[in-house]
Amino acid sequence: MSANWLKQRERGSKLLLVLFVNATRLLGRSTGRLILYPICFYFMLFSRQANRASRGYLQRVYGAPVGWRQVFRHYYDFACVALDRIFLLTGDYRRLNVKVHNAEALLRYLDRQQACILLGGHLGSFEVMRVLGGDRGLAIRILMYEENAAKMRDVINCLNPELARRVIAIGEPETLLRVKEAADKGELIGILGDRVREGDKAVSCNFFGQPARFPAGPLMLASVLKLPVVFGAALYRGGNCYEIFFEELAARVDLDRQQREQELAALMQRYVDRLEYYCRLQPTNWFNFYDVWERADEN
Amino acid sequence: MSEITPFESEVAKLIVDTLNLDVDSADIKPTEALFGSGLGLDSIDALELAMAISKKYGFQLRSDDSNNAQIFSSLRALTTHIQHSRSA
Repeated sequence: MSANWLKQRERGSKLLLVLFVNATRLLGRSTGRLILYPICFYFMLFSRQANRASRGYLQRVYGAPVGWRQVFRHYYDFACVALDRIFLLTGDYRRLNVKVHNAEALLRYLDRQQACILLGGHLGSFEVMRVLGGDRGLAIRILMYEENAAKMRDVINCLNPELARRVIAIGEPETLLRVKEAADKGELIGILGDRVREGDKAVSCNFFGQPARFPAGPLMLASVLKLPVVFGAALYRGGNCYEIFFEELAARVDLDRQQREQELAALMQRYVDRLEYYCRLQPTNWFNFYDVWERADEN
Repeated sequence: MSEITPFESEVAKLIVDTLNLDVDSADIKPTEALFGSGLGLDSIDALELAMAISKKYGFQLRSDDSNNAQIFSSLRALTTHIQHSRSA
């Protein structure tokens, strides 16, 4: 079920989250990471739906049954990346070791102040790309379902208001006009293109050998605005290491009216192939803890 | 419901041509909803339409206009907005 992640209730109150954020900043990253162990164990014991999704996904990647250790690692990577967001947002990330591959794929456009879409997924840490980009003076705008992560937005707002202002909320009448205005100014537009919401136009793509639905919106948007699309993933490699990978997906998306569906499907499959490739590189970095595959093919 | 005006038919034709819709522009009722339950357009269609309107009528639809939801609510509302903005 594609919209399951929406229905999964956010656990913990906002107060607890704020408390945790402040405690982490006070105690530092190493202590924060220790606290993540009991938290991850708690989630592993009590969120059965996420457990099942993690197990199902990891089995597809490894092609073999997985044990609780791999599932735990999946949770732990997710928690570490979430923890590092706190340090990234407060600008306290000098201890993170970030290696960037093929930055040219992106700089090619940004150096000429030509707008482009940075298409990523809930794979690794989008925040690393966003913060490092901001550091280097790149104007990154992020399209985000804000109402969904209202608690997280409050935290971002409180930790880094400037970055929060660069978010373009999805679902308002002005959303795409804002994107167009950003594109007209030559800004970089970041989109996470791997989660389908109810009512979204979705395309079925082959993901680890089975059909899964992905939203058509990001690439349709690129086509309407005639923008280049660069794929980006910032994988968390354990410890304090991140690796960012950029790849050009299309120099200019311009889907032909007559063959729009076929061209769109082919381009979407290229995106999903890149997702799959980087999932294989670091399997426990796929942070969609719901069943992404189509139900008819579950049998 | 009142009759469709000539300018409304012109805008209706622009909508159908721009979005390659599988309907006759004469079948679009001026007060019918363009999005969701009515004509069933989505936000990307709205953007494409906004760009086509800018090109044809020479003014920009802007994100800081607080009336955007209203402007795009029906053919009649959209046509009225184009008439006002064009002459402004």
